[in-house]
Amino acid sequence: MRTSRTLGMVMIAPAAIMIFLFYLMPVVLTAIFAMTNMSTATGISGGAWQVTASAVNRLKTTLPELANGIAEPRFVIDEDGLKELEALKLKPGFATELRAQHIGGVYPSRREAERDIKALKDRPNTREVKQISDIFNRSVLNTRFESRDALMTSLDKLGFKLTPEQQQIVSDATYTGWVWTSENFSTIANSPDMLQILINTGIYVAVTLTLFNVTYALFLAVTTHYMPSNTASVFRAIWLLPRITPVVIYILLWKWMTWDNGFISLFLAQFGVPPKNYLLDSAYNAWFFVILINGFIGASMGMLVFSSAIKAIPQTQFHASEVDGASRWQQIRYIILPQLRWPILFVTCYQTLSLLASFQEIHLSTRGGPGKSTEVWSLAAFHTALNNYTGNLEYGLGAAMALVLVVVGLVLSLIYLRVFRYDTLISKPLIED
Amino acid sequence: MTILPILKSAVLATVLLASTAVIASAKDVTISVWSGGSGPNDNYRVDAIEIAADILEREAAIRGEQLNIIVQKTPYNGWDDFKQALTLAAEAKKAPNIVATGHEDIGPWAQSGLIVPVENYLDLDSWPLNDIYPNLMEISSFNGTVYGIPQDAESRPMFFWKPYMKAIGYTDADIEALPAKVEKGEYTLKNVLEDAKKMQDKGLVQAGYGFYPRNSNGPDFWQFYTSFGGVMEEEGKLVFDKAAMQRTYQYFADLVKAGVTKKNHIGLPGDQWWKEVATGKAGIWHGGTWHYARLVNQEGLKDFFGNVQFTLIPAGEGGKANTLTHPLVYLLTSGHTEEETQIAADLVKIASEPRINALHAIKSAHLGISPSETKVDLYSSDRWASEATERLLPHANAMPNNADFGKYWTIMWKNLEATWTGAKTADTAVKDAETELKSTLGASIVIR
Repeated sequence: MRTSRTLGMVMIAPAAIMIFLFYLMPVVLTAIFAMTNMSTATGISGGAWQVTASAVNRLKTTLPELANGIAEPRFVIDEDGLKELEALKLKPGFATELRAQHIGGVYPSRREAERDIKALKDRPNTREVKQISDIFNRSVLNTRFESRDALMTSLDKLGFKLTPEQQQIVSDATYTGWVWTSENFSTIANSPDMLQILINTGIYVAVTLTLFNVTYALFLAVTTHYMPSNTASVFRAIWLLPRITPVVIYILLWKWMTWDNGFISLFLAQFGVPPKNYLLDSAYNAWFFVILINGFIGASMGMLVFSSAIKAIPQTQFHASEVDGASRWQQIRYIILPQLRWPILFVTCYQTLSLLASFQEIHLSTRGGPGKSTEVWSLAAFHTALNNYTGNLEYGLGAAMALVLVVVGLVLSLIYLRVFRYDTLISKPLIED
Repeated sequence: MTILPILKSAVLATVLLASTAVIASAKDVTISVWSGGSGPNDNYRVDAIEIAADILEREAAIRGEQLNIIVQKTPYNGWDDFKQALTLAAEAKKAPNIVATGHEDIGPWAQSGLIVPVENYLDLDSWPLNDIYPNLMEISSFNGTVYGIPQDAESRPMFFWKPYMKAIGYTDADIEALPAKVEKGEYTLKNVLEDAKKMQDKGLVQAGYGFYPRNSNGPDFWQFYTSFGGVMEEEGKLVFDKAAMQRTYQYFADLVKAGVTKKNHIGLPGDQWWKEVATGKAGIWHGGTWHYARLVNQEGLKDFFGNVQFTLIPAGEGGKANTLTHPLVYLLTSGHTEEETQIAADLVKIASEPRINALHAIKSAHLGISPSETKVDLYSSDRWASEATERLLPHANAMPNNADFGKYWTIMWKNLEATWTGAKTADTAVKDAETELKSTLGASIVIR
């Protein structure tokens, strides 16, 4: 018993590891990222402690004395430094001459200190100059400390005795990395642009789904059902073309058709219509094409599912209805549709989720334009977290947006199950009981 | 009989050994360099590093060291993908040694520790670094530390199609005097709108082509904010001037309302934009000094000076005529050995020498980085470079190096675009921007 259980564990382990790595981890990581303020400026891998001019500004209100004390760079040629220099085993002349000529020298900037170091008779090269000036640096300004303790030790050496509370203030003000925060969600909730993007997403998903992914797919499935099977196969293959064409090429074709110098413009020019960019002319135009592009790609899947579901309906039902004198419409209404409830639920649910998450067609065609009129939630998350002109990648905010999408998807799925009365779909048929 | 083959193989082995010994003493260093926003005219952004490598190798040879530098060049055409690739590569510890990018990246990248200051590796008092324009060095600094070496400079003029200016009543002398009038504030953005309208009313250009701005987000639009009296940064703090931003947003809304600029102008295919301004489809437009290279080299505008006048961006209400310089800088990334970074720094220094930098400046119609560069024959004999330097550069502002500027920019642009396309009124846009700036930047921005 025990061995068979162990064996079962071993057998399932590869799958479990895969599920954990590729299915659960992305969501977990997204949730973790969403609770941070990670961005290009904070980095992902953690930060350092650096007393920059802006950190000094932040400290001015709480610790004015310290802020004024560390605000200026300071280089001092002193005995400690000279000993350290000798230990470096560069040319001995450096330390000797510095001790003889410059001991006690104080410089308000690195550049000025280096001017004296450069002028030493033994002519240190640039690298040595930098090494030497580092030794005599007696300020913490702009130095990057890899740990909090290193900064505190340096401050301590410079004569700033700080209490633990003060140390915490300094640490907070100088830390360059990311911190935990829930601000991303309040930003999303309060931004009028986010609301607009949400509305865009709602329109995009609802219209594409109802018009194309379900209705149009259903239309294709039913019409091909009534065709001779060879003709039907040809038509189904044609309707599948948008799905099997690489998306970049498929959208390039749409662009060629809609650009100022594209097919539509050239064709209409024959009738004296001035050329224009039909894809980006107005928000309505952009939506029209975005929905068309996505709809034609998406409809093929519904068509396949519905066709096979219709095939599964016993032919006898159609024959019987024809004996009863039912019209095509009556067949559709009373035989086909009632038996397609399950596939329609499946397609609606599945396509809602895939429309919510898909943005590549919009990214390639309108890039969310004109303005931000076709910017949908997933595209906005991509732009925020990974790809924008200013290079200001806000990983935290983008992850929070992605997380919102996961929640919306789950909620919608639950609603669909309710609307389609999932429980009745899975209950056993009464007749066989 | 058997001696010979043994002897042969022994000799061969010795030769082989000796050759590996030579190779071992030679130092192979691979230096990778990436550049953003680099089109076909900008190849010297990365090629200059290769030229520098050749010189550095020769210098090493003279000192008796054998140094072999392999330069891996990766120019990116656009900015979005370049910045994404670089940031993610750096997070994965795979950043290139040298990167040529916009100076505004210094702030965030320095804070996240993605780049190291060049002043840790180079003597700024030495030639040619001490010869670089001080304001450019300033733009390459962050928090008082010099992080980058300027790679180029430029400025962004307003362009006028001369034949159309004449057709609406300007004489040759008027057009000649236009740059001075703009500089003095006598010809303003209001006049731009009016003249654009006149060109359209006369049927010289199609509707929406009177004033034909940049077709995508860019630093250019901060110029209009400056024209209307806005300031980007003061004493290390970002500034959002509500009134100036309102006037800026309103101006673009007015342009669309007057029909001289298209409502859906943003997002227009770039190639189309270039072709149109090069062939006189647009009346007035704005761009950058480097546009000269593309218009003349790629777009076939042979008689540039006969067809085009250029000036500063005219003043608007409450501001002054200005232009913006957006220098690219060479930055050194962290995560490499000290030795590699030192070589990378030396290469950047050599690449900044006047003659090498002038190759880029003239080929791409950017401006030089040092006074001595303007004396290099190639540069001084180029009409565009000398006129643009003289007319524009003294009035050039730059975007601030501030770790939060990217956020400010994103918000500013988003709302400008919304006003432009009519999705928001200028007042709502300013209010939305204010709300978002307050919530994202808080005390780091002054709102007034």
